[in-house]
Amino acid sequence: MRKLEIQTIMSALFIFAGLLSANAQDANTILKNVDNVLFSAKDMSGNNKMILIDKSGNEEIREATTQQKGIDKRMFRFTSPSSQAGIAVLSLPEDVMYLYLPAFGKERRIASSAKNQNFAGTDFSYDDMESKPYSEKYTPKLLNTEGNVYVLELIPLSLKSDYSKIIMKVHKTNFYPELLEYYNKANNKVKVAKYTFNKIGNYWNPSEIEMTDLKKNHKTKMIMNDVKYDTGLADEEFTVRKLKQ
Amino acid sequence: MKRINLIFIMMTMLLISINITKAQEITNLKLSGELFTDQRLLLQEQNDWAWNENRLTLNLDKKITGNSRFYSEIWLRNMGLPNISSSADLYNKSIVDPYNLEVREAYVQLLGFLTDNLDIKVGRQRITWGTGDKLNPTDNLNPYDLEDVLDFGRHRGSDAISFDYYFNSEFSLQGAYIPFFQPATMPVGIFANALNPTLELPQGMTLNGFTDQTKMPEYNLSESTTTGLKFKGFAAGFDFSLSYVWGIDGMPVATYNTFSPADTLGAININSQLSFYRTHIFGADLAGSIGGIGVWAEAAAFLPESKVVMTNDLSAMYPMSPVPVTQDTTVLDKEAYVKFVLGADYNFANGTYLNIQYLHGFINERGTDNLNDYFFVQLERNFFDDKLKIAPLAGGFIVSDWNDVGNNYALIYIPEASYMATDNAEIILSAAIFDGKGENVFANLGEYNMMMFKLKYSF
Repeated sequence: MRKLEIQTIMSALFIFAGLLSANAQDANTILKNVDNVLFSAKDMSGNNKMILIDKSGNEEIREATTQQKGIDKRMFRFTSPSSQAGIAVLSLPEDVMYLYLPAFGKERRIASSAKNQNFAGTDFSYDDMESKPYSEKYTPKLLNTEGNVYVLELIPLSLKSDYSKIIMKVHKTNFYPELLEYYNKANNKVKVAKYTFNKIGNYWNPSEIEMTDLKKNHKTKMIMNDVKYDTGLADEEFTVRKLKQ
Repeated sequence: MKRINLIFIMMTMLLISINITKAQEITNLKLSGELFTDQRLLLQEQNDWAWNENRLTLNLDKKITGNSRFYSEIWLRNMGLPNISSSADLYNKSIVDPYNLEVREAYVQLLGFLTDNLDIKVGRQRITWGTGDKLNPTDNLNPYDLEDVLDFGRHRGSDAISFDYYFNSEFSLQGAYIPFFQPATMPVGIFANALNPTLELPQGMTLNGFTDQTKMPEYNLSESTTTGLKFKGFAAGFDFSLSYVWGIDGMPVATYNTFSPADTLGAININSQLSFYRTHIFGADLAGSIGGIGVWAEAAAFLPESKVVMTNDLSAMYPMSPVPVTQDTTVLDKEAYVKFVLGADYNFANGTYLNIQYLHGFINERGTDNLNDYFFVQLERNFFDDKLKIAPLAGGFIVSDWNDVGNNYALIYIPEASYMATDNAEIILSAAIFDGKGENVFANLGEYNMMMFKLKYSF
């Protein structure tokens, strides 16, 4: 009788473990699909218009150019306003990020403590601007499905992250993220990012990202224009040499 | 007549070609700049004006072709206060309204010159070296611009040719050739004497008058040239570089002082000859991140090409002496001395930023025994959507003699608040408080405690 009990418990454990595994597998697959949607193009270039909106509704506009290659190379350069023009950020593999400030005439590595800071007054952090697949930064867990979206919980792999978790809502059919909710270490929701996608050629393009800082009641709308995919950007476009040009 | 016609035709053609060029390329020309005002008032009674600077910076940036670019930075400045001593001065606009025009940079950059991996720059340029934050012992190619001693790291551009050769995305070689020596520009206004060494006179003598002549290096290849080479790389998570400069120290030293009696009571006149000396500078720096903390280190070993000696000629004081009466003092031995900086910065989760630096050897200090220790700190935090930045803790502590710190120190406290009134307009309010004793740059600025108001408008 005791043997039967043990067998039953073991079977239940195996089934539970299998379910967990299946769940994790699903979550991983979903997140990988998200990365595939976001990083499937060989390269991308375009113009960003960022509208900073404070709690009183006052707006400030910033413009930038962006280039991306593969999954881990990105160059971002402000073109306006004049006080910001020329400031550029280069994101490279292995968490390497450089900041170029024209006033100093030299590049500077961004320390990981700075990656949680707001990027040039926007509601995006340096970390948010980094080009790196979600599956390499987070461990996903499928929480549930709601209507047309999967709801994933992403736990940062790095202890240095300012976030304790991110809740990501992923479109079931097209696998692009529709909504991201960022939680701080005290498990309070601190930021929300809403994504709007349109299709350009074969690729889903995040045409607008609205990032809201819930504590400051401040938001940044990032609107992508003139987006071009697979134009054959060379690796040389993502070097410190280019950053300084 | 023929000559006039030729000139007229040439002028017309020039104008036409300029206009055609304009029409073709006007869209590529980027004009930007900044309007900057810097006003400082002493905190003493009467609140004397300590600094008046109104600067219009114009930046012209033009991509001429895909592989070439022109860039310039020009300052048009109203600097200082009217210094009128006679009615004749009232007829002179440069005295009534002092201003100057300064070409900070004006160069052409050729990208992928001869080979894909080579970029060159020709013209007046700033060649920034070093990983320290405004404190850069290895940054020695351009002359120092010490006009404002509170703006430590400022250099002027040099007329130079420089190149960058990129072996790959991580390793590169930079070289620079500066044909003409340009000395450092010294502090002005109330800071004029900040970097001058104290004159020690023999017992019983008082200074009546002082004159000097500065001997510039000859303008030829061997005497006036500065060259430098730097190898840059990235390894084990750190950016690093090794550099060498064969240059001339931009601040002159007194090498021959002629003493002459002014009266019979011990008053003397001194005529000093100032010279510049050659030096080898070996540099190394690195920057990276350890445990989320940004760290950097930078060191430069200065090796004078020959011993620098100062001769005091006292012959006029001893007219009966059958031989010249001179005293030689070694100002600088032919041995290396090392200046270095160690720094770290950290961004706290609440938005506070902390920057700490330790510097051994300030800009004007030379020789192992004369290098002082400087500790700088900057703590700042942003408020109101990053529009307001307050630095309540900013400044430095200087020790010029560890055996008697109480009499050989300086404190600088420079709290600052800056406010971005609009996207392009920044208002900065700060104060500079000095205290100290002994021999160092900042110890003697105690009577110059000041309030500072600055406004920058970028366009």
